[in-house]
Amino acid sequence: MPAREGTYGLLAEFDTPGDLIRAAQQARQDGWRRMDCYTPYPVEEAAEAIGFHRNKVPLVTLVGGLMGLAAMFSLETWISTLAYPLNIAGRPTYSWPAFIVPAYEWTILWAGLSAAFGMMALNGLPSLYHPLFNAPNFRDGATTDKFFLCLEALDPKFDAVETKAYLQAFQPQSVVEVEY
Amino acid sequence: MAHEAHAATHARTLPANLGAPSFVDGWKARALMVGVIFSVIAALLAFADGSIEHVLRAWVLGLMMTFGFAVGGLTLLMVQYVSGGKWGLLLRRPLEAMSRTLPLVFAYWLVVAFEMKKLYLWAQVSDVAAALKSGLINEAQAHAIEFKRPMLNPGAFVWVSLLCFAIWAFYSWRLNTLGLQRDSDSEANTPYWIKRMENISGPGIVVYSLTMTAAVIYWVMSMDPTWYSSVYGLLFLVGQGYSVLALSIIIAIGLSKAEPFKTLLRQTEQHDLGKFTFAFVMLNIYLAFAQFLIIWSGNLPEEIPWYLDRIRGHWGVIITLDFMFHWLIPFSLLLSRDIKRNKKRLVHVCQWMLFAKAFDLFWLIEPNYKDAARNLHFSWGILEYAAVPAAMIAFWVAFFCTRLQARPLVQTNDPHLAEILEPEHAHA
Repeated sequence: MPAREGTYGLLAEFDTPGDLIRAAQQARQDGWRRMDCYTPYPVEEAAEAIGFHRNKVPLVTLVGGLMGLAAMFSLETWISTLAYPLNIAGRPTYSWPAFIVPAYEWTILWAGLSAAFGMMALNGLPSLYHPLFNAPNFRDGATTDKFFLCLEALDPKFDAVETKAYLQAFQPQSVVEVEY
Repeated sequence: MAHEAHAATHARTLPANLGAPSFVDGWKARALMVGVIFSVIAALLAFADGSIEHVLRAWVLGLMMTFGFAVGGLTLLMVQYVSGGKWGLLLRRPLEAMSRTLPLVFAYWLVVAFEMKKLYLWAQVSDVAAALKSGLINEAQAHAIEFKRPMLNPGAFVWVSLLCFAIWAFYSWRLNTLGLQRDSDSEANTPYWIKRMENISGPGIVVYSLTMTAAVIYWVMSMDPTWYSSVYGLLFLVGQGYSVLALSIIIAIGLSKAEPFKTLLRQTEQHDLGKFTFAFVMLNIYLAFAQFLIIWSGNLPEEIPWYLDRIRGHWGVIITLDFMFHWLIPFSLLLSRDIKRNKKRLVHVCQWMLFAKAFDLFWLIEPNYKDAARNLHFSWGILEYAAVPAAMIAFWVAFFCTRLQARPLVQTNDPHLAEILEPEHAHA
């Protein structure tokens, strides 16, 4: 991928989640799509405000869990009926009640691992660099007590001068231009 | 500073009238009507069957359901006093109302106490040797009845049950009285009240676990005098959490059509209650399966017949359906975040869970009797399992509605009240 140059976007800084959400809702209503919110803790309304759509993590988790279930149950069945058909207390070799617990544990294990790694695969983590790290106020505030809205230059509505004035109208603490 | 100013501008205000909305009268009327209709159906079925046996067995099912609501409600009230949390503030008054339905449950229990001989083999058989000779009981039963006589006898049944009811009534009275006193006290004393409620509820939960274990052993487990399971009390305890949470969600969402719950029931707390219910669905199957797995592994002649009675002779169909109704369906549905956050759908899941609980009790109770063990068959009497509990639960709901109307629906002397009135994103 060629190195990107120029402006990544305009970053507005807010003091409260409420201000951020109102700005984000308005921007979405005005037709902005390439934008993102950054908050120090999960703010679900912020995700809703910028039209967050569903991702595939739940599906990946479900498929992973079912795979774990099927894998362990088949493994136990194969071991007990074909590989080592031992007589244990006179029970049938295919004794499904005994298979449930490991199969259940594997369901959870695989679902958990699928959720964690699926999330990473789908959101691009771990990422060592992000253009927003160039903004000093973002570095200082994004993980403590500031709420950010970034309108990105990739959006067709973006214009360095007009967009800045547009963001100023929400009365943020500051609006800064962020380079790649 | 700015944050607080913002929260203040967006905070909703507590409605002036905290009383139960007028449509609770409608619920009451409807419940009474349903109760009467099903009582008539139950009577007709008893005539068609020509026996009172199934009415009584189904009566125990109805008793266990309403007992679960009343005393399980009391326990959840104690749990939330100890654990805290905004979901608890929301449910406090409905749970108090459930705990004050105890007199009706006691009245239901009286019928069981008077008709003990028709329900419990150990009460019916006074001369074990003669009963064994006449073929009424087999050798295993004779041995168990004789050996367990100090515990399983009519006097002990009555006295233990009365003692349990007295203890539950004491806790119900204490928490309900203090709940009102707390509201009339000044806000400066809130920390004192929080501590006080905790100090009553903590030991109360322990006492409750013991008394309810004793009660379910006498009322349900002893229907089969030969069998025992050490997880039995816990299984019912978790089952009560399962059904009380489902009922609480139905009530809270039903009340949210009007003030004050319209303002107070936020999506966040509804979602939390859904997650809590999901945990009980999981714990419930965990214990039920653990009991099965341990008994299956042991494969002992004292224990295994209890399961064989409930699997062979077409009962396998019922246990398979029970597994799906009781666990698979609520589990799969409650996994979904959307369903937990949707009022209408969550109510449907909870209604289903209450039905599943009753279905599970049917599987627990009916195969205890000789005519039904390993032999699932149709008789008019078996339909009593639908009619009798439906009538009993309907009358219970009507009584519960009067209890609900007796008090404001929200406890106001609590710091959580201010938080629950905040907009959701302030602390999401």
